[in-house]
Amino acid sequence: MLEKLKLRNFRCFEALDAEFASTNVIRGPNAQGKTSLLEAICVLLRLQSPRVSSLAAAIRHEQKGFVLDGLFDARHMQFYLGAARRKLALDSVEQKSASEYLKIGRAVYFSNRDVEIVRGPADLRRKFLDFAAFQVDSAYRSQLRSYEKALRSRNLLLKEPRPNRRQIAAFDGPLVAAGDYITAARTRLIAALQPFAEEAHKDITRSAETLSLAHRRGGGADFRRTLEAATGEDLRLRQTTAGPHRDDLHLLLNGRSPEIASEGQQRTIALALRLAVCALLAEHAGRPPLLLIDDVFGELDFERRNALLKRLPAGSQKFITATDIAWMAPGEARLFHLAAGRLAALTKPPG
Amino acid sequence: MGERQIPALHVKRVEYPGAIKALIGQLKRMPGIGPRSAERIALWLVLSRDAKPREIAEAIGESARITPCSKCGFFAEEALCEICRDDSRSPELLCIVEQPTDILPLERTGMFRGLYHSLGGRISPLDHIGPENLRIDALLNRVKTEAPEEIILALGGDVEGEATANYLAELLEQHPVALTRIAQGLPAGAGLESADELTLSRALSGRTKMKMPKFG
Ligand SMILES: Nc1ncnc2c1ncn2[C@@H]1O[C@H](COP(=O)(O)OP(=O)(O)OP(=O)(O)O)[C@@H](O)[C@H]1O
Ligand SMILES: [Mg+2]
Ligand SMILES: [Zn+2]
Repeated sequence: MLEKLKLRNFRCFEALDAEFASTNVIRGPNAQGKTSLLEAICVLLRLQSPRVSSLAAAIRHEQKGFVLDGLFDARHMQFYLGAARRKLALDSVEQKSASEYLKIGRAVYFSNRDVEIVRGPADLRRKFLDFAAFQVDSAYRSQLRSYEKALRSRNLLLKEPRPNRRQIAAFDGPLVAAGDYITAARTRLIAALQPFAEEAHKDITRSAETLSLAHRRGGGADFRRTLEAATGEDLRLRQTTAGPHRDDLHLLLNGRSPEIASEGQQRTIALALRLAVCALLAEHAGRPPLLLIDDVFGELDFERRNALLKRLPAGSQKFITATDIAWMAPGEARLFHLAAGRLAALTKPPG
Repeated sequence: MGERQIPALHVKRVEYPGAIKALIGQLKRMPGIGPRSAERIALWLVLSRDAKPREIAEAIGESARITPCSKCGFFAEEALCEICRDDSRSPELLCIVEQPTDILPLERTGMFRGLYHSLGGRISPLDHIGPENLRIDALLNRVKTEAPEEIILALGGDVEGEATANYLAELLEQHPVALTRIAQGLPAGAGLESADELTLSRALSGRTKMKMPKFG
């Protein structure tokens, strides 16, 4: 559980100090920093933002760097990011590599834009998969980095005025090695998510509709072969046309593409996917992940709200943001009000 | 009645004499030395009796004589380095490294008695480094004239190291020489420089074949 959090120069927060409970509800008008606060928690635990790929964007305007500092399960986690340098510390010991640090906390981020995972472009589904994979497979991060590096190198060589085939081929080895790893890891992940997603989906809809997940491999059945066969095409298009960077997660509702499903059905699928990750991480780590639920309840109708609340893994720490909390039953949640970058703990929900 | 205007003061700020300022300026250019360290070192050189600035200046002057060995690229005081001048070493074995600084860690294992060839880097399109920027032609010449029996690739285990190894393997395909790679015991992304002796010894003894010699 995240007991304490300190932010310095993170997005709209100049300085923030907070203590959290098991369930935390953060209310506040628009543009006051609700998403930024959840993002900060995610970055503290996972060193990654759920909304941007470059963390530098989260440094408060005109500042040199941000500091995130938290007490999570009695471990003191600190992360500094500046323009030129980043620093990690665990219990005040500076960490050269992130591997120990990343073993500590796991998180799932629910956003009101999650429906885009269902109907948006494939890269959103790859991001969804990758974010889960980072948390169950400690080698995934470095393999994905190697893959991306080999891919960018190869693409640069393909874009040269006179591409050097021997040099391009030299990058095929590392590209295929990392690519095969990524492909296999994603296939495993999707297979592991399948039963959880199906169950969560049935539970929310209380219907007989079946949600199924499939891995569409951008590198084909045999990536090395596909890559070799695509050499001509790659040279013509001046980019690598096959590989896990073209992977997709195929979603099927009763065997049909959810593209034609209704808005509500699409939202339910997105929810089921997030819940599946929760269940998988809970199973993997032996305890539920921390949940960051950003402005999701407002979008849902009464039934889906309750289904979601009921399905959230028991015993997980929750951070729930909302502009309006009138619908919420007063429970053990700790209430906060966020305005102008200041977080105030409220003893009870204001009338 | 208005407030009396205070005339602006033009006081010249006293600074270090020119020689000290110049010294600080030179020290600041060194890696890992910021303005404050530069100032501290400069003052120590000027003030401390143990500093022996002349000896330091002389040592720096001497070091300007160091050039890359014309054969292998290691640090040398003459045309050839100490390793290349040593007759007791086996020219049948040629170990290829990325940087001249990778040679000493391998030497310290005491396991290798052949010769070296430093490429001066590795193929890295992201850094705009291609084969033409590396000492690859010099390597091919050596392979022809020295005819080693085995070439050992001791390159980094990361993407660029792998790619450079693959590139060289293809170039050397037609040469009558066996090609091996040191075992993958090296942390990916970290060059040989950061590997410890034990890891290196293991990597050297557990090298794997990339190709058998081709004769004819
Ligand atoms: N790097 C940054 N430096 C300073 N301010 C920033 C930075 N990035 C974002 N902001 C500002 O932070 C404010 C809070 O944004 P955030 O998305 O967290 O608000 P929110 O409370 O989630 O709003 P909503 O209810 O509309 O989702 C915005 O005004 C935004 O412009
Ligand atoms: Mg928001
Ligand atoms: Zn030499």
